[in-house]
Amino acid sequence: MKKTVLVLSLIVFTNVLFAQTKKTTSATVAFDATTALDALPKAENKTVIAEIDTQTGQIGFEAAVKNFTFPKPTIQEHFNEERWLNSNKYPAFTFMGKISEVTKYNFSNNGIYNVTVTGQLTIKDKTNNITTSATIEVKNGTLVAAATFTIVLADYGVQVGNSGKIAGEPKITVSAELK
Amino acid sequence: MLFENSKKQIQSINIEYLHSFNYLSMTEKTANKKGWVKKALIALLSIFLLGVVSFWYILNENFKDTALTESTFTVNAQELINAFQTNDSLANATYQEQLITVHGRITETEAADTTVNIKFVDPITDSYLIFAFQAQHISDAKILEAGDSVAIKGSCSGNIYSQLRKANMISFKRAVLVEKFRNFKQ
Repeated sequence: MKKTVLVLSLIVFTNVLFAQTKKTTSATVAFDATTALDALPKAENKTVIAEIDTQTGQIGFEAAVKNFTFPKPTIQEHFNEERWLNSNKYPAFTFMGKISEVTKYNFSNNGIYNVTVTGQLTIKDKTNNITTSATIEVKNGTLVAAATFTIVLADYGVQVGNSGKIAGEPKITVSAELK
Repeated sequence: MLFENSKKQIQSINIEYLHSFNYLSMTEKTANKKGWVKKALIALLSIFLLGVVSFWYILNENFKDTALTESTFTVNAQELINAFQTNDSLANATYQEQLITVHGRITETEAADTTVNIKFVDPITDSYLIFAFQAQHISDAKILEAGDSVAIKGSCSGNIYSQLRKANMISFKRAVLVEKFRNFKQ
């Protein structure tokens, strides 16, 4: 009986530790559209859903637009307005992608892996392809993923105008601890 | 001769009159121009001042400390999840962008960058409430554990249905710990 419990516990523990799909609901996505003229348009969301399948390399991110926190209330209000992100109509950002040549990496082993991720980012119901380099650090079954890339806001139907106060190509920084 | 002199006088008067008319007209035009320039300068100055005041206002405004702000609703965690699962549109219309105090037993704490998020999860549907804490109250989130009975206040960002998790995520920002009920911990 003791033996059975021990074996079952070991199986459960191994499955948890080396599960194919690593998840979190607390990934962080930071958005930086600051320029030399305006240091205010930047925000972050710390409640982003993220998943990585270490076998197939499938990656997914989902973020609630309204949960991006800006330092200033007026800027946050503008961000959610109809002419910007229109968060009432389009409440989520999604990214669905894949780690390129995933078979090259063995995420069961501790280490830092430099990978390339390609996928599709959807904002305001407009989808565009994204390719970015990313690092994935594996530490005892936990994956710490990080990536930085830029997007063109006009590609998602967001016009920033010519005032020079908002970057047309903001920097996006993603970090996630997946278990 | 007399007639000739009168004619010359009349001509001279006419010329003087015309000159004076031109002078008046010129003075009027200059005055009008000066008035227009003055108005334009005042308008430009007003726009500039308005811009400076708006910029100063935005630069200095900050979100209020959630701990010092009254909540609009006080609800139980599971009841709030149920409200979003039952009628998502009505719940979003009711709770979105409102400060809400939520009572419940913490299901999970989760590392989020340098901070910790607090979650209340529906055990049947996996739908959940998640609270990201306000910067000055992050230390409160770090002392909380799964199983703690608490009251947490935060600004509700509403619900999205996650295709990845096949569940509803109801997220909160600028959250603070209102109370931790040690006696009720299991």
